[in-house]
Amino acid sequence: MPKIGVYVCHCGLNIADVVDVEKVVEYTRNLPDVAVAKHLTYVCSEPGQRMIQEDIREHGLDRIVIATCSPRMHEETFRKTIEQAGLNPYILEIVNLREHCSWPHSEEPEKATEKAKELVRMGIARVRLLEPLERRKVSAEKSVLVVGGGIAGIQASLDSADAGLEVYLVEKAPSIGGRMAQLDKTFPTLDCSACILTPKMVDVAKHPNIKLFTNSEVTNVKGFVGNYEVSVLKKPRYVDEDRCVGCELCTKVCPVKFPDKFNESLSHTRAISIYSPHAVPKIAIINPNHCLRLKLNKDVCGKCLETCEPKAINFEQQPETIQLKVGAIVIATGSEVFDASEMPEFGYGRFQNVISNIEFERISDASGPTGGKILCPKNGEPPKTIVFVQCVGSRDKRFHEYCCRVGCMVSLKQAILAREKLGKNVSIYICFNDLRAFGKGYEEFYRRARDLDINFVAGLPSEIRNAANGSLCFDVYDRGTNKLFEMHSDLVVLANGLVPSSDLGKISELFHASRSADGFLLEAHPKLRPLESATVGVFLAGTCQGPKDIPDTVAQASGAAAKTIDLLWSGEIELEPLKAVVNKDLCSGCRICESVCPYVAIEMKTEIVDEIERIRAEVVEAMCQGCGLCASACPVDAIKMQHYTGEQILAQVHAVFEETEKVGGS
Amino acid sequence: MSLIDLMSMAKPEKESMRKVLAKLGRSEFIDCFQCLKCTSGCTALKLLELKPHEIMKLVRLGFVNELAASEIIWTCATCLKCVQRCPQKGSPYHVIMALRNLAVEREAKVPEAYLKAVSQILENGLSQTIQKITTRKMETFDRTSLKLPKISAPKESFQTVFLKALEEKQE
Amino acid sequence: MKMAVFWGCRILTSQYAYEMSVRQVFPKLGVELVDLREATCCGGPVKSINAFAADYLAARALALANLTGLTDLLVPCNRCHFTISEAKHRMEINERLRLRIGELLKEDGLEYDPNINIWHVIDLLHDAVGLEKIKETVKKPFKGLELASHTGCQIIRYSDLGRVDDAENPRKLDELINVLGAETVDYSEKLDCCGAVLTYSHQDAALSLAGSKIKALQGLNVDALVVCCPACQMMFDSEQKDAETAVGAKLDLPVLYYTQLLGLALDIEAEKLGLHLNQSLVDKLLTKLPA
Repeated sequence: MPKIGVYVCHCGLNIADVVDVEKVVEYTRNLPDVAVAKHLTYVCSEPGQRMIQEDIREHGLDRIVIATCSPRMHEETFRKTIEQAGLNPYILEIVNLREHCSWPHSEEPEKATEKAKELVRMGIARVRLLEPLERRKVSAEKSVLVVGGGIAGIQASLDSADAGLEVYLVEKAPSIGGRMAQLDKTFPTLDCSACILTPKMVDVAKHPNIKLFTNSEVTNVKGFVGNYEVSVLKKPRYVDEDRCVGCELCTKVCPVKFPDKFNESLSHTRAISIYSPHAVPKIAIINPNHCLRLKLNKDVCGKCLETCEPKAINFEQQPETIQLKVGAIVIATGSEVFDASEMPEFGYGRFQNVISNIEFERISDASGPTGGKILCPKNGEPPKTIVFVQCVGSRDKRFHEYCCRVGCMVSLKQAILAREKLGKNVSIYICFNDLRAFGKGYEEFYRRARDLDINFVAGLPSEIRNAANGSLCFDVYDRGTNKLFEMHSDLVVLANGLVPSSDLGKISELFHASRSADGFLLEAHPKLRPLESATVGVFLAGTCQGPKDIPDTVAQASGAAAKTIDLLWSGEIELEPLKAVVNKDLCSGCRICESVCPYVAIEMKTEIVDEIERIRAEVVEAMCQGCGLCASACPVDAIKMQHYTGEQILAQVHAVFEETEKVGGS
Repeated sequence: MSLIDLMSMAKPEKESMRKVLAKLGRSEFIDCFQCLKCTSGCTALKLLELKPHEIMKLVRLGFVNELAASEIIWTCATCLKCVQRCPQKGSPYHVIMALRNLAVEREAKVPEAYLKAVSQILENGLSQTIQKITTRKMETFDRTSLKLPKISAPKESFQTVFLKALEEKQE
Repeated sequence: MKMAVFWGCRILTSQYAYEMSVRQVFPKLGVELVDLREATCCGGPVKSINAFAADYLAARALALANLTGLTDLLVPCNRCHFTISEAKHRMEINERLRLRIGELLKEDGLEYDPNINIWHVIDLLHDAVGLEKIKETVKKPFKGLELASHTGCQIIRYSDLGRVDDAENPRKLDELINVLGAETVDYSEKLDCCGAVLTYSHQDAALSLAGSKIKALQGLNVDALVVCCPACQMMFDSEQKDAETAVGAKLDLPVLYYTQLLGLALDIEAEKLGLHLNQSLVDKLLTKLPA
């Protein structure tokens, strides 16, 4: 005979203000198998929990029902409570009298009370059938794979490594640093980006717990949380990493030039070069698509070979595949900048003096193509007028519907930098739709821009034209003055938004991380779980999950690192037992469950039964998320959902209709 | 509705707004967040002061009657630049056309030329009468002298059915 | 290739040169044109009066095409092309509209067929006939001529509807001119509207719009402006003299239809192409052509 304890919570006034908790408890006392029925103001409080534990000991309770707020709030807490009192933590039923009763039916307290009684009755019906379950522990690798070496990946790596985890940081470019390394200054402090970034980059290179793979990509991921098997392809630099001293003499003698990606093609780099101004590692790399010797596969040129004193150049270098075992993965692959040639009306790609915000950033950077001087690409002269146009490719249903979040702050920053570098006599305008300066110090930054005589036109132009005198011109209507202005400018900077990177489809597939409607990677819950993907053990950091600025990126990266530390520090992963289990005797090997499982958590195992080879389904516990699809799809009912069996659920259904029929209710 | 235009003392007109929205067909056409791209590039702005963004905002707030009775809605050149470039897939052009239809229903300020076109179509199927062309060398030509084929006019049933179409209310 | 042709109103009642040049050039390129049973308006001007009645007229044009048994309809006027295309789209997405219009058409003894392909002169020549074929057929290529193209508004916008050419960078008319041996210029005002629709209510503004574009082109020293719509031709050619007052400048730019230009390259007599009807000084252009 079970001895059920039922506790009805007032939840302050949240429940008690609508539901008559006394009546519910009175009703409950009369139900079969109920040994104890009480109500309290806050069951989750310390005295509340102690009372439950005392009752368990005193009355020999072996099943507990707590009628309170959503299980998402305190189920874990209460499980621990009853476990400490000697019960199996899974013989616990939480009945939701708040989100499912008092809150939605706040206008009808009598009906809410009746519903509360029914919900408790259902809870009791289920708790009678709940089975004790054990959490299983599997060993976990105390290591993390961080994919992407921008500020997000760098921060996540440092935090995880400092906590003692082994970190493998894989970056596809020849140097880490990402987008932040391309910036001149950062808003709103106008810190020099390289100055705050490079110390962290060096920390990464020097950290004993971080192994850095640059010019590398992840090619395969297998396994499950705590036990991932990852293949990393290290592409050849054709330069020996242990010998190269970063002197760059090879670059000077190389005859082949091609557009420099780091400088957004505003300048040229050589076939052998160091990727970026503050590269980590500072090792040369040969581009096989441009190097004469590699492209033509002939024994030509070789000037770099002659010049290199440490003899670091090796044209025979081969790609290497490295196998890693990691316990968790942090995806920090960043994003790209909108290509404004998709909007021909603004002349990007047609008019040289229409540039993107990231191109302006390179121009403004002292280590960029113009040595930090603001010069018009067309004639190399400093502009006398600069106009910024906001929301290019963002907030636009034709391209990307979302707001890019950083466009306004970037333009404010660039306008301020232009004012500082070019002086008072240059006219600077920002044409905007809405100006968004939402963060800490951001509104003050906007005011700073206005104080520096930067003018704001409240309206966007429809198109940009080339005037007869060679300047750029366009009409724009201003909401503030209700006037149509004709504007002439030497330089137009388009505030292009951040967009999902073009290889995100590949990344999404590789790591089983789904994408949201806007194309970025999807977080497990938009409000409460922004750092995790839906796949356990795979975390998200930085702009791969959505456009954001550096403070938010760093916060998310540290958060993701904390999650990996939390997951792996004990070297063991505890698996929740709320999973599917296959009854092998009933399984016919039809594979329907395998085909419907969204988490790749079912494996077909070959077994010899009565001397006949049979395939049977088996659930990979670590991957199973307990969604129940397999159990409902199985045509022979061979799969049981632990803690949510068919009998348990049907018992609840019967409980609702049973007594109602008896007392003649509807 | 708790909005009064203190210049005209007008209040939002729910029924008129509903009529305009019904004529629009696609609800997205009235989507507008006042970026002003349409007005910045409007063909009719400089010469005729047409501000498409203003019309969108007035209609969204429900101030339809003044617009339907105005001359401004007849200044649109139908170049379609606003439809092409709107980042919200809105369409001031379609909103203006809906307001024009409403103006006709209310017998407000409709330019003569449009009414003439309609009556001409009723008469012989085309919106214009056949014209004689005088060249720059002062010679006169028409279809016959240019040996162009005769134009066949539609039968009487055309007129009856077209009249029916004109009387159709769009709800 | 055989196709039906819907002329609209303007071409049949005043812009005769377009009809003449179209009838002249297409047979030479293997396209046979079949006239519809009767001439009616596409509904363009009716859109401002009653959108439903306008859709009815547009559907009626397609129903008349249906009578010929042909599946392709050439619509040489930009405005007719847009009106009919949009009506077709509206009937595709709105069943009630389609049924109601179907009922009315029935009363007039007609039936609507949604499977009629709507063509304009530009895409018919560029995409269906093809630049290669045109090049082969050209007898008198223009060398050393610099021309400006004006594709117009309603066959390039709005792109969601599926139009004849790209809305921001229309190249088809330019390529059609290039294949005749002439160069084309890129100019800032290329996408500007001719203002024709404003002649219904604001004549001065219409003339000002057309005049400004002509004035800008004269500044570039082009040999002529090439159009492909009777409304645009009316503004730039027929009303060029009237536009002078609106913009306060002398306007003497030759303006002609692409089909007239093509006809000249195919060695068809100028008179057969209606070039004597152009009001602008096309003689200036004709003298520059090879004998």
